[in-house]
Amino acid sequence: MRTTTFDAQITAVVFDDTGAIFALGDGSVRFEDGAFSSAHDGAILCAVVHPSGDGVVTGGDDGRLIWHRRDEAGVLATARGQWIDAVDASAESGLIAFSAGKTLSVIDAKDAGFRRDFQHERTVSGVAFEPKGRRIATSTYGGAALWFARIAQQKPTLLKWAGSHTAVTFSPDGAFVVTAMQDAQLHGWRLKDQRDMRMGGYPSKVRAMSFLSNGQLLATSGAQGAVLWPFIGANGPMGREATEIGFDEGSLVALVASRPKHGLLAAGLNDGRVWLADPAGQGLNFLKAERGAPITALAMSADAKRVAWADEDGQAGVATV
Amino acid sequence: MSAMSDKIPVTVLTGYLGAGKTTLLNRILTEDHGKRYAVIVNEFGEIGIDNDLVVGADEDVFEMNNGCVCCTVRGDLIRVVAGLMKRQRPDKPAFDAIIVETTGLADPGPVAQTFFVDEDVKAKTQLDSVTALVDAKHVMARLDDSKEAREQVAFADRIILNKTDLVSEAELVEVERRLRRLNPLAPITRAERANVPLDQVLGLGGFDLARILDINPEFANPAHGEHGHVHDEHCGHDHDHDHGHGHEGHDHDHDHSHGAPSSGARGHAHEDDIKGISLSLERPMDGARFTAWLDRLLGEQGQNILRAKGIIDVQGEDRRLVFQAVHMILEGDLQKPWGATERRWSRAVFIGRDLDEAALKAGFEACAA
Repeated sequence: MRTTTFDAQITAVVFDDTGAIFALGDGSVRFEDGAFSSAHDGAILCAVVHPSGDGVVTGGDDGRLIWHRRDEAGVLATARGQWIDAVDASAESGLIAFSAGKTLSVIDAKDAGFRRDFQHERTVSGVAFEPKGRRIATSTYGGAALWFARIAQQKPTLLKWAGSHTAVTFSPDGAFVVTAMQDAQLHGWRLKDQRDMRMGGYPSKVRAMSFLSNGQLLATSGAQGAVLWPFIGANGPMGREATEIGFDEGSLVALVASRPKHGLLAAGLNDGRVWLADPAGQGLNFLKAERGAPITALAMSADAKRVAWADEDGQAGVATV
Repeated sequence: MSAMSDKIPVTVLTGYLGAGKTTLLNRILTEDHGKRYAVIVNEFGEIGIDNDLVVGADEDVFEMNNGCVCCTVRGDLIRVVAGLMKRQRPDKPAFDAIIVETTGLADPGPVAQTFFVDEDVKAKTQLDSVTALVDAKHVMARLDDSKEAREQVAFADRIILNKTDLVSEAELVEVERRLRRLNPLAPITRAERANVPLDQVLGLGGFDLARILDINPEFANPAHGEHGHVHDEHCGHDHDHDHGHGHEGHDHDHDHSHGAPSSGARGHAHEDDIKGISLSLERPMDGARFTAWLDRLLGEQGQNILRAKGIIDVQGEDRRLVFQAVHMILEGDLQKPWGATERRWSRAVFIGRDLDEAALKAGFEACAA
């Protein structure tokens, strides 16, 4: 396990093909091997691995979307002074999607001339590609919207549900869209018939959702343990109970991280601890057992062999499992 | 370090177009105070400052899904505050304060409620106060024709009566009289070109229970004949006909028989739909009965109650019970003990729309122990 201390808040961490990359509130990007990029003029608000698997794409409150690699950084797109709040990327389609205000924008990592801008009635809070990277779901007040990534003129499919939706994810089989909501619950839709799924009972807002075990489980934060919703068969979690692992009355799970193809789950707690668990097995493996500031960033590598975290005080660590 | 001081104070500036918000903001941002402020505005305009951060927001008001119809919040503020907090460095606040400017037509309720309802915003920030700017020359007409203008005045912790150089002293007295009737809690500061000392705008602690020390209906309403006195039922004269006339074209159901110039904000005795009601009791109160009454009152009429504050003398309790409410959101706690020689009495002010003063008074007094 390696730990570092940064003098700014870490707002996101991702693993690219080479290692962990931290994105900071002072606008800089720190690579695990010590490389450094400082291209933003302001805070980094969101980050995702570049579709090529090399480096990180970050959105900032300076309205710029920047691709940082270990030896260079360049602006991919701008949002005319608006904050870039959310970003996602698809290795399958090579596309990058980001939101600024009410606009969803799509660019192509291999074609600098390609750009699509899609308007919403309310501010976009989250962006997620479907697994093949051809469609994009956005979350906003009043529900979610589904867009085809490349088509210039289109009307989105609106998935309506009253309330403020703050984040969105696609199930790995592309059959379900799930949003997190302002009032501490999830909402899901089965896309083939737009059937609603209400997934509630959380004591706190859900900040992170992540699929694991070949898409059979959706793990979320927002409770005293990590909450696991079964997504098995055509009905997903409908009519089934969620389970909770790592329950600890004295803390809340702030973030979770996992990989769809692997069965391991990492959780970062609001008391600074980080654990790893196999929901099919027994017990928790504490990667960071000492308590501290709340965990604000958490990621698992694509092979599920490494976990990176960071806390609100700038402490960061990378562990090999 | 106390938990309170870790949180970044937030000041909300309200006021209709032309009241002087931009002038005040520019002063806050350019004065040599060595502080760093983040300003959340709705339209980028004449504000352009180096050291401070000016952020656009879009007044994205929504209802919480918690079954409480008046519990609306500003979604854009939740997002912008979360983003601003990412600039926070370990052990070093990113900003000395956040200032939220609202548009002229904004209802201040959702802005304030955001700071009580959202768990992330609540964890990082503390609503300090709401300041309303009004323009001495035009405020009477705005109060007549705009529900939002009345709400902004009624909601405020402080009212800045701006552009006082454009009207006469007599007109100012009439304006202040009406403002006090709408809001007996907020001190009124006169200003020209928004030249108010910044310590009368920032750091007021308007929602801080520990700083609600002084709710004095008598103090809030100077004696008859003095500046800013509100003519109410305690005056002992028939004020309905004492100074009643209005602008041309206004239809009020009270007596408009006095001839007077039709221009300027003079001589109004409007019964605004919103007013502040001051209650007091010299006897100690039954704590449980008072709490139940207050809960029921806010539950039933919280939509119409913009602000409430009170200091209660609870029987058998050495400390004073202090509460403040924004619509249905209530905060209350026991605060510092009564002094040995201090006058122990209960007082509360409710500011709201269509409130039944007699019923409130009866309900309040029925809580006597």
